Amino acid sequence: MPPKEKVESTEQVLQAVILADSFDERFQPITLETARCLLPLCNVPLISYTFEFLAVAGVQEVFVFCCSHSDKVKAFVKNYEKTSNMKINTIVSQELMSVGDAMRELDAKQLIDTDFILVTGDVVSNMKLDQVLEEHRARRQADKSAIMTMVLKKASPQHRSRSVGDGSLFVLDQGSKECLHYQPVKAFKSTREDRRMTMNMEIFDKHPEVQIRNDLIDCQVDICSVEVPALFTENFDYQDIRADFVHGILTSDLLGKTIHFHEVTDVYAARVRSTQMYDAVSKDIISRWTFPMVPDSNLQVGDCYEYRRGLVYKEKSVVLSRTCVVEEKVVIGANTQIAERAVLSNCVIGKNCIIGANVKIDNAYIWDNVEIKDNCVVQHSIIANNAVLEQGVTINKGCLISFKVTVGANTTVPAYSRLTALAEGEEDDSDAELISDPAVVGATGRGRSFTEAEGSDDEDEEEDPKNKQVNMLAFDMSELLLAAREQENSASDFESEASDLEEDQISPEEELDREVAATLDPLELNTLRMATFSNFLEMRKRVIPGVLKHIDPVAKPGSGKTAKEILSRWGPLVGKMIHDVDDQIDGAHVLHRACASLFQDVAQAQKVFAPALRYFYDEDILEEDAILEWYHSKRSQQGTDTEKKLREVATPMIQYLEQSDSDESDEDDDEEEDDEDSE
Amino acid sequence: MSKGTNDLVDNLVAKLKRRQLVGSSAVAQATLKLLIVVISKNNWSKANDLLNLVRSVGQKLIEANPTELAIGNIVRRVLHVIREEFRDAEASSTSIENSEFQSAPLTTSSSMYNLLSETGSGDKEYAHASSNLRSDIIQEVRDIRIELDTIYENIKNQATNHIHSNEIIMTIGRSRTVEEFLKMASNKRKFHVLVAETAPSYLGQQMALELSNAGIETTVIPDSAVFAVMSRVNKVILGTHAVLANGGLVAISGTHMMAAAAKHHSIPVVVCTGLYKLSPLYPHDEDSFNVVMNPDAVLGFEEGELMEKVTVTNPYYDYVSPNFVNLFITNQGGHPPSYLYRLIVENYDPNDHTFDPLA
Repeated sequence: MPPKEKVESTEQVLQAVILADSFDERFQPITLETARCLLPLCNVPLISYTFEFLAVAGVQEVFVFCCSHSDKVKAFVKNYEKTSNMKINTIVSQELMSVGDAMRELDAKQLIDTDFILVTGDVVSNMKLDQVLEEHRARRQADKSAIMTMVLKKASPQHRSRSVGDGSLFVLDQGSKECLHYQPVKAFKSTREDRRMTMNMEIFDKHPEVQIRNDLIDCQVDICSVEVPALFTENFDYQDIRADFVHGILTSDLLGKTIHFHEVTDVYAARVRSTQMYDAVSKDIISRWTFPMVPDSNLQVGDCYEYRRGLVYKEKSVVLSRTCVVEEKVVIGANTQIAERAVLSNCVIGKNCIIGANVKIDNAYIWDNVEIKDNCVVQHSIIANNAVLEQGVTINKGCLISFKVTVGANTTVPAYSRLTALAEGEEDDSDAELISDPAVVGATGRGRSFTEAEGSDDEDEEEDPKNKQVNMLAFDMSELLLAAREQENSASDFESEASDLEEDQISPEEELDREVAATLDPLELNTLRMATFSNFLEMRKRVIPGVLKHIDPVAKPGSGKTAKEILSRWGPLVGKMIHDVDDQIDGAHVLHRACASLFQDVAQAQKVFAPALRYFYDEDILEEDAILEWYHSKRSQQGTDTEKKLREVATPMIQYLEQSDSDESDEDDDEEEDDEDSE
Repeated sequence: MSKGTNDLVDNLVAKLKRRQLVGSSAVAQATLKLLIVVISKNNWSKANDLLNLVRSVGQKLIEANPTELAIGNIVRRVLHVIREEFRDAEASSTSIENSEFQSAPLTTSSSMYNLLSETGSGDKEYAHASSNLRSDIIQEVRDIRIELDTIYENIKNQATNHIHSNEIIMTIGRSRTVEEFLKMASNKRKFHVLVAETAPSYLGQQMALELSNAGIETTVIPDSAVFAVMSRVNKVILGTHAVLANGGLVAISGTHMMAAAAKHHSIPVVVCTGLYKLSPLYPHDEDSFNVVMNPDAVLGFEEGELMEKVTVTNPYYDYVSPNFVNLFITNQGGHPPSYLYRLIVENYDPNDHTFDPLA
């Protein structure tokens, strides 16, 4: 570590760390053959945008972490460094499996000695970081525990540049710009945990004003202090920077670190996390939201794009035939030829492509050296380098066609197909022979369809497959919903929190049984109550049967299941649900009904009901007046036979209570002891 | 090219590409500064070597941001100066050697005859080894620098010739030249300025603030009111980003509308510009040399669903055709648009309109 005053100075070299690997498989099979950060986005490698963004921010030294296809990344970076004014170091480590591993590596190598910018290799942004850096440094000066500043961008919930599957919930304090809590949000909340957010109640004590927001694009641009990699080392189980690190730091009482945020408004920032985001960000670039990072500013050396009306960008060497139609939002790379009557709209076409006559391309991303022969139709898909579509091929939406695949004549490729020309054995394709699948690529084709499972040792297998689908190119939410309804008629994923309540009523016992067992703490039960918008009435209806259910009427004393033992354990909890006289009366009713419905056998029900009633009376949970009121109410006199019988059990007690109304005797105990014994 | 200058070139190219350096004046200054270094720090013996060197640097800078026409203009000015110097040197040396062949004047291309004859003559004459010309050339280039520094001074000194008492002047956008021009006039005359607010950049509002701080009676009007109030205006004074060879302007968006309104009401349109903004290039269509900006200023990025359905174009500049302009006020005096071709001939060599390497 350098001397302390060096860390303090703002004159230091500004450093940045790029995580070039995304540690997921969303772009497979394309990413089997090249690195994710080198995928062309509007004909410029993805990582160039990140480099450019950092260069504008004034970064002088960059560390690029890469894992898969590191040789390709390294070669690219080496070449790029020549024309940029930055010092770029590539750090290759094959063992990296997550962001956490990269940060630990960073800490181990001691490369960073000051605050640094942490970004992923797929960020596209035109924001200037000076203000954020300034704020961060000022905060650091004032408070050493402010270890990180996240940059967030506001965007409406249905915004195309929001990654559908990677939502996040931020709890923020606008006054101090502090992030108080973080929770990742999945698109499909299949388990209860997904639908819930647990927050430390202390937050509300410390911060008078709190915002809970779901309208922020988190592009994972963070200003981190040197402590951040160290914290990753300390907490060796942290993997993700958000779900593990931010969540962990904020929920930890021991660390005492704070994380701040900076909300940007009139700049662009997004991450190419998935094919769906690839589509959205490409469109944003073409529509110039990323200005000055647009095709006609020619980020790549040697490019020479010109802007034309209708958001058409083309290189000077493009050959357009006389009758071809180039509609809106099209990028065409150098030396590409477009034949007669071809219609292009909303698409990106790479270098040296040959587009045949009568071809229709809409919403597609076609990379370099692709040949599309006459009468093909391509919709909303990605076609990688050197692929060939023979005559009359139709590519339906959402397809990923990897390098060197050939699709035979007159084949229709179904929607959401993923084709690869790599042999089954993967990476070392020299040994394995590619077995083309004529059903998929046609008789003369070359390639096979790629299935997700192969080679991907997924750690979190329980992840809902729908959460993966939602990130796919051209994914239509309505289609998915339709499919989901057909599949299962149980809880639909898009129902609001209110559905939880209904669900509770379907199976109150198990549900609350679990909840009650898990949360003895009345505070948490209270939170639960608020979370489900229910009131104390509802809570009593659940908690009391939940408690009674534990009671085993035939259990021996000492087994922990007798009425007395259970009640002494859980009784106080019930007490928390009961406040005034009305509550008590209702409580008595609930107890009455619950006993009747839980225990089929009248004798057993009586065995539970009487001690319970007495227990509540003894503990002053149900007061005398309330019990009398209950007993004499019409509601308790009606009902099933069991209920009537249960009421009769209470009769001796009622008589006693009515008697003792006039003379307070100290025989209470004895008499009631007898009462119990007789049961 | 030496390593040091190469780095400087790359640095400027990067700045231009990233749009960290924008605006004609700043760009022109930076280009000139770089070219002085390129000329003085590199080895060259023949004129052609130097011309090719400057051209290659110029080419790189122009490609970095083709819409900043001032870069090309400055490079061409420098090339012109180099040619002149070589011609002078040639003339003096040949006159010493054989004074009887003094018939062909190799000095400036001052007559129409020379103009035509020289275009095809090629660059053979510059191929000779140069004598000690370096300092002469640098001196001449420094003169251009001085010219750039004194532009505002020279233009604003003409202000009182054009602005009279109690006139109503209309302008748009924020131009330092116009600002200084009006401030200078306000020292002697009392007049009223209407500034169109110039959406979506609202630079007009800043302009109005500056003017009113200087004690000029100023009113901001919305862009939509320009035509309505035009009938009361005595003169429209405009700044510009560039002046093209035909006399057309590349000026902030809204200028075309204002100039057209002025023409409708037969109100004189005066353009204040430094000579370095005069480009020998022709506009081939209205979109050439324009910059289309981020649509954010027109439609917020937050408007997710709307944003997907509409296409927003937010051009920063307008092309104003020459028939809307009545007078150019440059640092060399006032000129009608029809005279610009003369200024181009005087300042640029016809061989330098494109920067393809010389044979």
